[in-house]
Amino acid sequence: MRLRKRGDDHVWSQEHLSHYVEGDMSWRARRRLELHAEQCPDCSLGIRAVRALLRLLNGSAERTDQRAPAGIFDRIRGDAALTETQTKDSDEA
Amino acid sequence: MTRLLGSQLTANTPERELIGRAQAGDVAAFEALAGVHADRLYAVVLRFVGDCCEAEDVLQETLLRAWRGIGRFQGRAMVFTWLYRIAVNESNRALERRVRRRATVPVDEEAVQVPAPLQDGPADRAEQRELREALQVAIAKLSPPYRTALVLRDVEGLSTRDAARIVGVGEAAFKSRLHQARLKVRASVSDAALVAAAS
Repeated sequence: MRLRKRGDDHVWSQEHLSHYVEGDMSWRARRRLELHAEQCPDCSLGIRAVRALLRLLNGSAERTDQRAPAGIFDRIRGDAALTETQTKDSDEA
Repeated sequence: MTRLLGSQLTANTPERELIGRAQAGDVAAFEALAGVHADRLYAVVLRFVGDCCEAEDVLQETLLRAWRGIGRFQGRAMVFTWLYRIAVNESNRALERRVRRRATVPVDEEAVQVPAPLQDGPADRAEQRELREALQVAIAKLSPPYRTALVLRDVEGLSTRDAARIVGVGEAAFKSRLHQARLKVRASVSDAALVAAAS
């Protein structure tokens, strides 16, 4: 079995920080990342950064106070009125 | 036959009854059914397209498609999930049209809003505003599949299962897109700034 180099672990860890935070990896992979992060300030900070990113994004939906514009059903009313007219016409024909 | 005005509709009319009446052509019943979700749908569409006028257009098209397809709605999905799926598809169509026009993606201040922590001084607030803007730009620059995954899962807070269903891909494929999207957005700002802003 090939011995892993430290550089391999760093690149791999950086690519899997989101998987780690999501809990989306095997126990073995999780342990590999944790062992590397204990020695690597960049990856340790990266874990906290991904968690922070998710907190920032996750709070944005609740704080958004967007109101749908008036008139969003106008096309439907027009479509329905047209259908009704066509139905009447075909009934009378 | 289409009826423009529903009779005896109240705020307590059950959803199942609204669906049945809408499927029979009752526009008012459809408006009551979809209207309760309109604000949230608009917010979602706005996050995708990043422009108020275009978001309104996309929402109108979403609702029109839903109205025309209500007869095929079988109730296996929740009404909101069903509307959401149509809205996401319409949003992505709008984005694809924009790409074809070779237009750049505008980043609306109101789109992809990233909140600021509440307890900061002026300098902190300025830094956080910059961070929020950087995140908004990064999300706006994602290609539609990645932006869809990030917005549905991380901004809207849907479960992976629901979000994957809306997108129409398997959960594994959806997660792969999500992780890639996070990687791209994280690369646009410094880790230290993210940690400071969220603490």
